[in-house]
Amino acid sequence: MSAAWRFQRLPSASPVIAFSARAAAILLALVIAGGVLSLTGASPLKLGQQVLGASFGSSFGFEDLGLLFIPLILTGLSVAVAQQIGAWNIGAEGQFYAGAFAAAVVGLFVPGPPMLILPMMFVAGLLGGAVWILVPTLARAYAGVSELITTLLMNFVAILLVYYVSTNAWRDRTANSATRRLSAEIPEFWGSVHWGLPVAIVVALLIAALLSFSRWGYEVRMVGSNPAAAHYAGMPVRRHLITVMLLSGAIAGLAGMLEIAGTVHRLQGGISNNYGYLGIMVAVLARNSAIGVIFSAALMAFILNSGIILQTQGLTTSAVLAITGLILFLTAIGDELAHYRIARDKA
Amino acid sequence: MDLLTGLFTTAFLAGGVLALAALGEVLAERVGVVNLGVEGLMAMGALTAIATVAAFPSPTLGFLAALGVGALFGMLFAFATVILRANQVLCGLALTLMGNGLASTIGRAYSGMPARAVFAGIEVPFLSSLPILGKAFFSQNILVYLIYIILPVGLSYLMFRTRHGLNLRAVGENPAAADAAGISVNLVRFIYVTAGSALAAGSGAYLTLTFVPSWSDGVVAGRGWIAVALVIFAGYRPIPAVLSGLLFGFITALGFVGQARGWPVAPAFLSMLPYLGTMAFIIVPVLAWQRMRRIMAAPAAIGLPYYRDVR
Repeated sequence: MSAAWRFQRLPSASPVIAFSARAAAILLALVIAGGVLSLTGASPLKLGQQVLGASFGSSFGFEDLGLLFIPLILTGLSVAVAQQIGAWNIGAEGQFYAGAFAAAVVGLFVPGPPMLILPMMFVAGLLGGAVWILVPTLARAYAGVSELITTLLMNFVAILLVYYVSTNAWRDRTANSATRRLSAEIPEFWGSVHWGLPVAIVVALLIAALLSFSRWGYEVRMVGSNPAAAHYAGMPVRRHLITVMLLSGAIAGLAGMLEIAGTVHRLQGGISNNYGYLGIMVAVLARNSAIGVIFSAALMAFILNSGIILQTQGLTTSAVLAITGLILFLTAIGDELAHYRIARDKA
Repeated sequence: MDLLTGLFTTAFLAGGVLALAALGEVLAERVGVVNLGVEGLMAMGALTAIATVAAFPSPTLGFLAALGVGALFGMLFAFATVILRANQVLCGLALTLMGNGLASTIGRAYSGMPARAVFAGIEVPFLSSLPILGKAFFSQNILVYLIYIILPVGLSYLMFRTRHGLNLRAVGENPAAADAAGISVNLVRFIYVTAGSALAAGSGAYLTLTFVPSWSDGVVAGRGWIAVALVIFAGYRPIPAVLSGLLFGFITALGFVGQARGWPVAPAFLSMLPYLGTMAFIIVPVLAWQRMRRIMAAPAAIGLPYYRDVR
């Protein structure tokens, strides 16, 4: 009796296998990163101990994690929401800056009590992010221009804009290359962690509920998985595309607003720790689920925080970027391999 | 007159970066693979070149080393996307993150260091004494001639005048048909994606060995992404890709002239010009002329992995 083994590709991967593939990808990436580190003479185990100690050993470390967690939830959510309708928002980084910029305009130039200013900054952040994705959105909706590159190009413009205003017109004399401290601050509820954290989590839960239980959410997911079928079913494909992409931009803008109103307290160049780009990673790890984003953002916050802790060891946040890239690379491979099963043909 | 010469010289020099990277991306996209790792490949190429000439002061060696590193990363990318058929967008973004992250981590040792050897200009006899163009084009370094003349003409001939070119375009348009005709889809894709990645890294080396002869973190500054956009603008053709690179060289040069002459515009806004210009160049043509969509259309199988068993 002869039996032939062959690989068979299934149209969709089983959730358990897909999840294991992701976990394996992350582990493998960390092992490779550790291996490279040990080649440079560092001891990965010692570094690991140090990271765990600094992250979870003290409440300060935990607070730092919390502060990184907030923007990552929202930028991850931003990318994930756009993916629901089949759009790539690679511009969360720029929308983050635009949201921070718009919120800073309110915070710096509108007088009033914080109780009034903060909601205005909140709205400004949402609008700033939405405005920043407007042109790529319309270009995709009406001219079929891929949003992948246009959203990304807008990042550079936003970063230059924020850098310019914080080193020139709005520069504070006492602060080097930053604006003055904003008067309105989001109150803190646990150490240095502010109310932006619950806000971010509530936004993620809200979006998850809308996507799963509302008619709008159903139609959006339908358009995302098969635009032609959605069109024949009478769904307004273009209108959904526009609203979802603007929503995606607004969420990333909100991340920027929370960052300057709660964490940094001034507008300055380089306010984003690559949050927009790391958001892509967060969304991919969460398989674009709004609830899943909360968990993958926590993981990403831990990885980013490790990089910041290890700066004293000569590591940089750019090393974190490289490791993130490696995780993304292996995850993409793992995702594809999860579609295969080994089948046995009986002859 | 002096202003014009300066403008053209800078435009040719600056445009070469985008032109070379765009040529590399044309190769990958023509066989149906979108490589979004150009930005990261350029960063690695730029650093490799600086590090190599720091050890062995020969610009040619620096350039070749960058090509090698680019090819290596390209093979990694091609293995993932062509052989294993992983998602091209994700792998490309991952390659950009890895390249940028690695280059800026390793590059800290070379930060602010000027290149120890650069490509010197070569005066072409007779032609270099032409007014304006003579100084601006015919006294440039050897890579400029490679990028503006040899590569685009050679690749254009290869793609549109040879049987092999027909094959490689078939792989990008209809891999199943190409497969049925006996062309090895995966092999063709693997080779051209690797070659394209090598050129992308080469353009990074060109950047640090001629145009900005030093390494600093973020030296690539989005040029890789602009190059990817230019490929769309150029309709996936080598000669238009080089010409649009040159066009963007002019936009960059205008920004420099503006800064040097003290135009009443902040440098930050002049620096935005290439990004905003790229946006305009890929959006406006499709809005203005519907016919452009068909003429400039992307290869039909772009971005799609090829599964032989489920076609």
